Amino acid sequence: MSEEKKKKAMNRLKTMYPLRANIDQAYERSVEATKAGKPTAWSMVNWWEADPILKAMDIEIVYPENYGAVCAAIGSAQKYLDRSDAEGFPTHMCGYARNCIGYTAEMTELGHIPSDAPMGGMSNPILLLSSGALCDARIKWFQSLGRYLDAPVWTVELPHPGVEESQMPGVREKSIQFMVKELRELVAFLERLTGRKMDWAKLEEITDDLIEINRIWYEINEFRKVRPCPMHSRDFWSCMNASLYPAGDPKVSLKLYRDMYDEVKDRVANKIGAVENEKYRMVFGELPPWHALKIFDELAERGWNFVVESWAYHAPKPIDYAKISDPLERVATQTYQWLTGYFPDALKEKEYMGYFAYPYLEWARTYQCDGALFHPLLTCRTATNHLILAQDRLLNKLHVPSLIAEGDIVDLKLFDYADTMRKAVVLEEMMDHYKKVRQEEGFEW
Amino acid sequence: MALIMGMDIGSGTSKGVIVRNRKPIAYHLLPSGVDYRAVAQKLREELLAKAGLSIADIADTIATGHGAGNVAFSRHRVSDILCCARGITSIFPSVRTIIDVQRISTQVIRLNATGHVINFTINEKCATGSGCFLDIISHVLQIDLKDAGPLSLGSGNPVTFTTGCAVFGESEAISRVSEGASKEDILAGVHRALANKISTLVDRVGLEMDCAMSGGGGLNIGLVESVEKKLGFKLLVSEQPQFINAIGAAIMAENGVEMGGSLPEPGSTIIT
Repeated sequence: MSEEKKKKAMNRLKTMYPLRANIDQAYERSVEATKAGKPTAWSMVNWWEADPILKAMDIEIVYPENYGAVCAAIGSAQKYLDRSDAEGFPTHMCGYARNCIGYTAEMTELGHIPSDAPMGGMSNPILLLSSGALCDARIKWFQSLGRYLDAPVWTVELPHPGVEESQMPGVREKSIQFMVKELRELVAFLERLTGRKMDWAKLEEITDDLIEINRIWYEINEFRKVRPCPMHSRDFWSCMNASLYPAGDPKVSLKLYRDMYDEVKDRVANKIGAVENEKYRMVFGELPPWHALKIFDELAERGWNFVVESWAYHAPKPIDYAKISDPLERVATQTYQWLTGYFPDALKEKEYMGYFAYPYLEWARTYQCDGALFHPLLTCRTATNHLILAQDRLLNKLHVPSLIAEGDIVDLKLFDYADTMRKAVVLEEMMDHYKKVRQEEGFEW
Repeated sequence: MALIMGMDIGSGTSKGVIVRNRKPIAYHLLPSGVDYRAVAQKLREELLAKAGLSIADIADTIATGHGAGNVAFSRHRVSDILCCARGITSIFPSVRTIIDVQRISTQVIRLNATGHVINFTINEKCATGSGCFLDIISHVLQIDLKDAGPLSLGSGNPVTFTTGCAVFGESEAISRVSEGASKEDILAGVHRALANKISTLVDRVGLEMDCAMSGGGGLNIGLVESVEKKLGFKLLVSEQPQFINAIGAAIMAENGVEMGGSLPEPGSTIIT
């Protein structure tokens, strides 16, 4: 297969490249900032709950989870994983955590950032900002870093109501009040830690920008419902971090997302697909094997276009924030909306399987998907425990078959490329069959 | 129709067939050993000699199985799951569910009326769900694997294995031997444990009759009977179930020609 033909199979968005660069450059910017005496925090993804506060206080932020993905994609993760294992941490622990702990152990031993660290590395933090959102490993991971780093850990909490409970009177209001109280405590803590005062006007501006970023990002992804889908999951993953973490300068990100909106809109108008011959429209379940992204090129050559991916990495359904004047309440409301935004629909369909699994049903239907590829992560229970349930629901309710390809986000030893392809070609046969079944039963696609 | 060679390079044994018009005209099997490339070459030579043919008589060779990528003289490899579907359908067109017991995995495959795959599931990454577990226990009992099935039929009190792990299962078998359990009872217990795992896989994809067993597991009468007892019906088993995937590989090539495309039918990947 010639290189020229491979490039044709997947048509990447041109506006993706500057957005990805904006994210990647955050690491080098933070290293430079640290050298200039500016504080840097290491932060987990907390779905906008705390990052706007740090940004408003002019604290540089880098993201160890994203850094795990970067190290895996570049092929540099193995030595950090090995180092974590050698330090006595379990091999079945979160791949992002293992990568981060191995990196930190090496940095601490050297007394400086490892010279071969991808993207310039992550510099010594003054704060470890943890999050109680979704994942148990994430709480203990940052505590474990206390063995190596002289930095306090702060955990922001997020209530996790069930589908039915979220709709009970007062649950939403009380949850948001709780989050706002938590955020006020975080502000007070940061003021003590840094000796700086919160710039409330700046926080308001950043919050407005992030809400707008997420609105545009949501609209971009709405465009992907058309045929052919104009944007592949590869582009989604390359760009999601400017919204999700959110990495990079929000003003710059906002401009770049607007550029992307224009490009995707133009593709829709001109019927330009992300894959030249879109044969199968696919859902991707969970995070991809960052170390083996070339598999998407091989699948694109077979006509697979990944048109939507896991709910957890998408922007929340837009709501009206105009009546909320307190920026902390706006932040909390947005995060809570992200967590519970799909619950009313799930409740209507009597699907109580929670925030992780239900959106697969809604999206497979609205994006008119032929199949799903699920990538359960051996080192992540949270990302994995719902996938078999989602697989059953997709097949039984929508006649959308799926494939489970086991692996890991960071540890390439846990992913079998050839075995995944062996099963993928069988899924094609299944998708052809169920397409006929859907047509016979009067489905729209 | 030209002659097609189908090769299934498995982790335990390598199988080769020569097919014409969906009918095998020659079979051959060798232990795979550790060098898939070498065994594929030797398998081809011995298969051709057995059939009284030369390389020039073979229009194409299609490979499947764990070591398919090492078959240097094959331009394509095909998924063993699709091969299994095609192979079984050529022998038992009425089959809708296949239990394929290989050395390193067991897979249950659902077919539609045209013999195409509509669902499949594979046992988790654990030897207790596959033929490998029988290898391990046969080694402990110091018997030949081919004797495991007939021996187990003489059991009067099958041992209950309390673990789902092959490593612990091996220890358990050693303990039972030292406690005086008979080989027959231990083997029957292993077959019952495997049948329980297989039954779970069948539940997962949903059973539709008829149901066949393929792969090396189909040669083990003790396993076949245990699965039949667990599921409550008779299985269809071909005379040479271990060759099903190799036959299926060759049939996929024939199908490709009939469909007017290049060899083989869609569902293959090119070996580069």
